[in-house]
Amino acid sequence: MLKPNFLNLKMTSPLTLASGILGLTASSMKRVIDFGAGAVTTKSFNMEARPGHKGPSIVPFAGGILNAVGLSNPGADEMAKEITLFKEHTTAPIFASVFGRTVKEYGEVVQRTVESQPYLIEVNISCPNVRSEMGTPFGESLRDTANVVQIVKKYSGKIPVSVKLGPHGPGIGTLAKVCAENGADAITAINTVGPGMLIDINVQKPVLSNKTGGVSGPAILPIAVKSVYEVYEKVSLPIIATGGVTFAEDAVQMLLAGATLIGLGSAVYYQGMEVFGKINQGMTAYLNQKGYASVSEIVGRAHE
Amino acid sequence: MSDLMQTFPIKKIIEQTNTIKSFYFDQTFEAQPGQFISLWIPGVDEKPFSVSAIRNGLLEISVKEYGPFTHELMRRKVGDYLGVRGPFGRGFSIKANALLVGGGIGTAPLRFLAGRLYENGLSFTTLLGAVKAQEMIFTQYFESVSKCYFTTDDGSMGSKGLVTDNILKIIKQEKIEFVYAAGPEIMFVKMKTLLDPLNLPYEFCMERYMKCGIGICGQCTLDGSGIRVCKEGPVLDREMLKGVTELGMVHRDATGRRIKK
Repeated sequence: MLKPNFLNLKMTSPLTLASGILGLTASSMKRVIDFGAGAVTTKSFNMEARPGHKGPSIVPFAGGILNAVGLSNPGADEMAKEITLFKEHTTAPIFASVFGRTVKEYGEVVQRTVESQPYLIEVNISCPNVRSEMGTPFGESLRDTANVVQIVKKYSGKIPVSVKLGPHGPGIGTLAKVCAENGADAITAINTVGPGMLIDINVQKPVLSNKTGGVSGPAILPIAVKSVYEVYEKVSLPIIATGGVTFAEDAVQMLLAGATLIGLGSAVYYQGMEVFGKINQGMTAYLNQKGYASVSEIVGRAHE
Repeated sequence: MSDLMQTFPIKKIIEQTNTIKSFYFDQTFEAQPGQFISLWIPGVDEKPFSVSAIRNGLLEISVKEYGPFTHELMRRKVGDYLGVRGPFGRGFSIKANALLVGGGIGTAPLRFLAGRLYENGLSFTTLLGAVKAQEMIFTQYFESVSKCYFTTDDGSMGSKGLVTDNILKIIKQEKIEFVYAAGPEIMFVKMKTLLDPLNLPYEFCMERYMKCGIGICGQCTLDGSGIRVCKEGPVLDREMLKGVTELGMVHRDATGRRIKK
């Protein structure tokens, strides 16, 4: 009943682990599968190892989580080892999330990553918390987006490519169209929102060492639902919906908006790793109650 | 308890040794021995520290100067505001007839545990190891609540050698039924090989590089079972340790790269 119809991948649930959460090691990602995820996405990586920003880099607030981890990662070679190790332990799909500081590096990291044969390459062009180092994200410009998608598709071979977009810039529907025109196979919507800031009132300074960071969690659910709705209207590519999904009702909203898969991230903070099983159960209950035989029957229903 | 960032003034500082200080904050939450807090020095960084005591309305952490962060911390004064979040993770369980084994600054969470065992009227034995006598902390306290054994690398206090040298003798002598340990991981590895044949249950307090402290970033996950030191740990029991393949062999740095121990 929960089997999604997504790029011919064999998955037991439409829930995926969103990039940036528990996606550093094969053991950790395997554990997420054991808790009920249908697929996992690695933490975003590029060619060289990066330590990321100093702490505090992840701080919850009343409505969500503010983070500026700063794209820390052990580099493409190490992550390729984790992807290979993960595949030795489970047949559940693993998605490799990649980024580059330059368009050229996107090409390099994809070339390196295809060797480990992930089931999908997710291209992160919308991380909002490395602006001071890397400038405006590629995903906020139509031309940069086109350039990145072109170089990624040049090297990705048979591995499908999903482009991770944010709600900023020229509009997510327009961006998604550019991705589709340049050969993207799916869209991941959305990244964290912002950047935002929190200030400590005693020391009177920003809390994050990076001062600003991306907002995730329940606060951004409506923005994410609207973004998914808009992408579904503009392109016919499957959508991986991420952004503020915490409960089964949120996941159902995403399906109705047009998502084929739903990525969970901050939800792990709110509900523990059990959140995958809980949302699977909740989605099943919803489908049963409404009389649907398959989760794919409700994808995009809010548009009808 | 709060995961949100809140800053509090340092209420008191006690110099324990040349390199170890205890810092005190108003107690704003309850905690279990073995749990940790995340400490933010504005403008510097944020790092996890075990709670070493909660008493008289104060939360205590005890810190050894080790790297750039602790170097900065040692220069902070009473009244300076620091961020304190927590408590995080799973602490020690409370057992009777236990042996507390501390190596170096690993003694800090055991002091908190000793206090709780004592308050519960449980008798226990303490075995502390350090490089030299001047590095040994809380000895008076441990001696006031338990029978104590000490070892130092140079023999300047107690017997010369490592805590693991005499542990089997002490376990037999004191009729130990449960073992707690905090300290360097190489000590855990040796203890495992000594304790497993006896079928003695134990809990070790683990350390890993952490970023979030709230179970989402994945930085502190352990190879093997994939459990998170900040959430399922930092105190791991014998069963949980069985699933860990990296004990004493590797840990990960800020990038997530495996570093051989």
